[in-house]
Amino acid sequence: MAFIGNEEQIRFLQERFRFVYGILFIGLGVLLSRMVYLQVFNGDQMRQYAEENRIKRVKIPAPRGMVFDRHGKLLVDNRPAFNVLITPQYLNESGRQKEVLSKLSSLIHLPVIEIEKRLQKSRSQAAFMPVVIKDNLTRDEVAELETWKIDMPGVEVEMAISRSNLSQDVGSNLYGYISKVSQPELPVLNKAASRKYQLDDYVGKSGLEKEFEEQLRGVDGSELVEVDALGRSIEPSKRKDRVLAQAREEPFIPGKNLVLSVDQDLQMAAVRGFGEKNGGLIALDPRNGEVLAMVSRPSFDPADFSRGIEQDLWAKLIADDNHPLRDKTIQDHYSPGSTFKTITAIAALEEGVIDQDTTFNCGGSISLGSRKVHCWKKEGHGSVNVVSALTHSCDVFFYRVAQKLKSVDDIAKYAMHLGLGRKTGIELGREVPGLIPTEAWKQKRFNVPWSPGETLYVAIGQSFVLTTTIQLANAYAALVNGGTLFKPHVVRSIQSEEGKTLKEFTTQVLDKTKLKPETLKLVTDGLWGVVNMPGGTAYSQHIPGMEFAGKTGTVQVVTQKADKIYQKCENLRYAQRHHGVFVGYAPIQNPSIVVAVVAEHACSGSHGAAPIAREVIKTYLQKYYPDLYSDRAIQDRKQLEREKAKRAKTNQGE
Amino acid sequence: MTYTSMETNLDQTFDPNRTSSYEEEFKWLKWIPLILEIVILSIGMMNLLSATGVEDKSLGLWKNQAVSIGLGTVVTLILQFPHYSFLSRLAYLIYIGNMGLLIAVLAFGKSSLGAKRWINLGGFSLQPSELMKLSMVIFLAKYFENKNTTQGMKLTDLIVPSLFVVIPVSFIIVQPDLGTAMIILLVYGSMLLFLKIQPKILLLLSVVAAISLPVVYNYGLKPYQRQRIVTFIDPMSDPKGAGYNSIQSMIAVGSGQLWGKGFKKGTQAHLNFLPEHHTDFIFSVFSEEWGFIGCSVLLLLYGLFIMSGLSVAYQSNDKFASLLAFGIVSIFFWHVFVNMGMVMGMLPIVGVPLPFMSYGGSALLTAMSGVAILVNIANKKYMF
Repeated sequence: MAFIGNEEQIRFLQERFRFVYGILFIGLGVLLSRMVYLQVFNGDQMRQYAEENRIKRVKIPAPRGMVFDRHGKLLVDNRPAFNVLITPQYLNESGRQKEVLSKLSSLIHLPVIEIEKRLQKSRSQAAFMPVVIKDNLTRDEVAELETWKIDMPGVEVEMAISRSNLSQDVGSNLYGYISKVSQPELPVLNKAASRKYQLDDYVGKSGLEKEFEEQLRGVDGSELVEVDALGRSIEPSKRKDRVLAQAREEPFIPGKNLVLSVDQDLQMAAVRGFGEKNGGLIALDPRNGEVLAMVSRPSFDPADFSRGIEQDLWAKLIADDNHPLRDKTIQDHYSPGSTFKTITAIAALEEGVIDQDTTFNCGGSISLGSRKVHCWKKEGHGSVNVVSALTHSCDVFFYRVAQKLKSVDDIAKYAMHLGLGRKTGIELGREVPGLIPTEAWKQKRFNVPWSPGETLYVAIGQSFVLTTTIQLANAYAALVNGGTLFKPHVVRSIQSEEGKTLKEFTTQVLDKTKLKPETLKLVTDGLWGVVNMPGGTAYSQHIPGMEFAGKTGTVQVVTQKADKIYQKCENLRYAQRHHGVFVGYAPIQNPSIVVAVVAEHACSGSHGAAPIAREVIKTYLQKYYPDLYSDRAIQDRKQLEREKAKRAKTNQGE
Repeated sequence: MTYTSMETNLDQTFDPNRTSSYEEEFKWLKWIPLILEIVILSIGMMNLLSATGVEDKSLGLWKNQAVSIGLGTVVTLILQFPHYSFLSRLAYLIYIGNMGLLIAVLAFGKSSLGAKRWINLGGFSLQPSELMKLSMVIFLAKYFENKNTTQGMKLTDLIVPSLFVVIPVSFIIVQPDLGTAMIILLVYGSMLLFLKIQPKILLLLSVVAAISLPVVYNYGLKPYQRQRIVTFIDPMSDPKGAGYNSIQSMIAVGSGQLWGKGFKKGTQAHLNFLPEHHTDFIFSVFSEEWGFIGCSVLLLLYGLFIMSGLSVAYQSNDKFASLLAFGIVSIFFWHVFVNMGMVMGMLPIVGVPLPFMSYGGSALLTAMSGVAILVNIANKKYMF
């Protein structure tokens, strides 16, 4: 025998194996006798324990954080919802299936056939796994079930949490919705999450619910519940006096609350303003970039999602041409139309191609080569300068300006400084960038050089120009605050459950443009005229005693043939009607609110979009400047003016 | 048996005809540890299907485990090619490398359930403390290869190896992974006893251990660890708290009775009375569903598996290989003993998985590597 190393030592070790086998057999013998003890001698009793008296660890889901508006008004909350479950095994063991099902059917107003269908659907899963029969029970149904439960083995009532927007569909695109984690999502979610998700946990799917998931989500707790042989929890009073009676809980930790900068009164005003119309509205504070209102129409009710959305409702939401799930203020871009003329005016004034005295004559159209390019007003505006061109939204004036500018890049430069054509960076997902065309862009995109004629269309916000509603609001905010472009934000702070501020979000400046005071003066004069000068495009919307300024825009959705340009919009099919756009601000001196509205297929900026902005601005001014704009204050002021005029007259008479 | 008679035996075994036919005939015996591994693994996968498949229809964990088996198979195959003596040459390097991983875990490991045990290696996480069991055994086999212990070891002989054991063990305790630390100490103790310690030293050590136990209990353990021991002694002292797992696990095992409740029919596991029922408490799922008959078959398989490993150690003609095989076998033995003892309420609750049955990639990989080394030793020795 060939040995490696010391033969004597190996022999010695082989001797030791007797001892090793001894230990092994003792060890295995101990395990075997324990098995005999537990399974053979005490098996009956253990089986009885397992079947009769159970302590079950039940998860207590932690409530999600709540969402408040800037004044502490509750916007999004958790409401309890009740579901009824059946555990098939217990039902079958009872041998009274028919009786129980018909009783249940009468209590929850659901035909027996329907209940059986739901049980049938879950037949592939183990018999002791409960099946949801009906969710969102009414209080009466819950009360009835609790009373009769003892007679219905296998039937249980479960409390679930339903996420609800207290004002149903107002602002739901901003708040977003939550839904149950599905099997395919689980690994993806858990890869990124610091705290693991389980199947049937809730997760934010859109809006703030998604972006602030980490903060809103709580930590689930657990509770040990003693249940009887049929899986029903035993009421504390009926518990046998055993050592097992005292429950030990692991408390849950609720999610953190969000405090938004939006004002619920303005949200409601916006929805009032929209009425049946579709589109998006965003209001910003131009002094710091805070979002004061953010509404998209049509919208949805998040409660439909948190209870598990019905298949057909989901299909309906997805198929809806008006895209209720999309936040139209940030996730849709539109041609800004005439609201873009303000940018063109700034570019022209800053580049020095026009000044306050430059006038052009508008005869209703100009010739561009062999083509004729029309003004929206067939008969023309006559002689216009930059202020009146903005007030009356004269297209020809801006065509002329475009012809004077060196290139489209001059307009693009100012548009980009004001944040157009790129994401604003608001803390919400799926924001679209829009587009501000430049010569280089067109060369790269289409491999065709820029043609000077196209600049004319860019100057009035058509052609390739695409902006989101939030970009328009932010650009005008930068304009009225003297050139500071803020990053808009909607969450002011994160608070603990007790209301202690954990984190505050501060204002961020994106860009600073030095605009000449004269430029600002001329442009804002023009915008003032739009609403407050007879003949201004939105003069119909002016509020006596409550001045605001703004710019209208009307955007063709489909290109119209020349003979149809002046056709009445209301006669077109809904999907072909023009979008109305309006961007406004107030007060005239030191503005503190900018409102941008896109009213889809509402035909015009002045009658389609401006009234919505007007509603919000009016609500805002009356709420935040009561001493200036309350009905009483306006009346007093009018009275004073009348008296002053009277006195002036008397003085004249003397 | 005298030395000379042994020599005559040797002469007989050297008879070329006898040896070769004997070897030919029982060649397959060398594969017995592997065959038993495959049998127990199959039972384990079936059981895991019940433990995880009821709640998780997509079988995510089950598939993970299947991937680990695939990986383990590759490792098993690779480990058949070199002569096992490469482990002897690399023993110290393996030890140092594994220590490095343990330090890395503490530095930037990822935590789960409050313990920091894993490091992320691209797609999967590795638990270096699991691997340390094997590295430790290789290290000790190498260390004792050239030490003559036939007269029994003195206290001074123990100082150096103990030091090399205590360093990684303390790193593992810090993680904390008490189960693995305990297994390493048990394996170390088994190897020392196997190598022989002088009786008086053994007595001395036992006395010291007996005295230091209460001290460790009072000052060395964290409150929750003390709690586990209290509830082990009297589980009913806190049946819904610390004693909960122990009681529910015993109920699960016992309620299996003689024949068990049947595949996927265990209520204790599936109604979530048993937390962690796919890892450390997997045996309770098995015993609930297969009863005493199933349990004793499983115990028999483990017994045969351990014995086949011991016979590899016994028949090796290389001291390093013999020590290595013995060490590996003792890892398996202690895992089975501690895990089953814990599940059946005989031992306090410590996180020790049941080889080939519990869910967990690192543990499975370590176990399969261990068997691969056993088979390598069985096949590479010069005689059967």
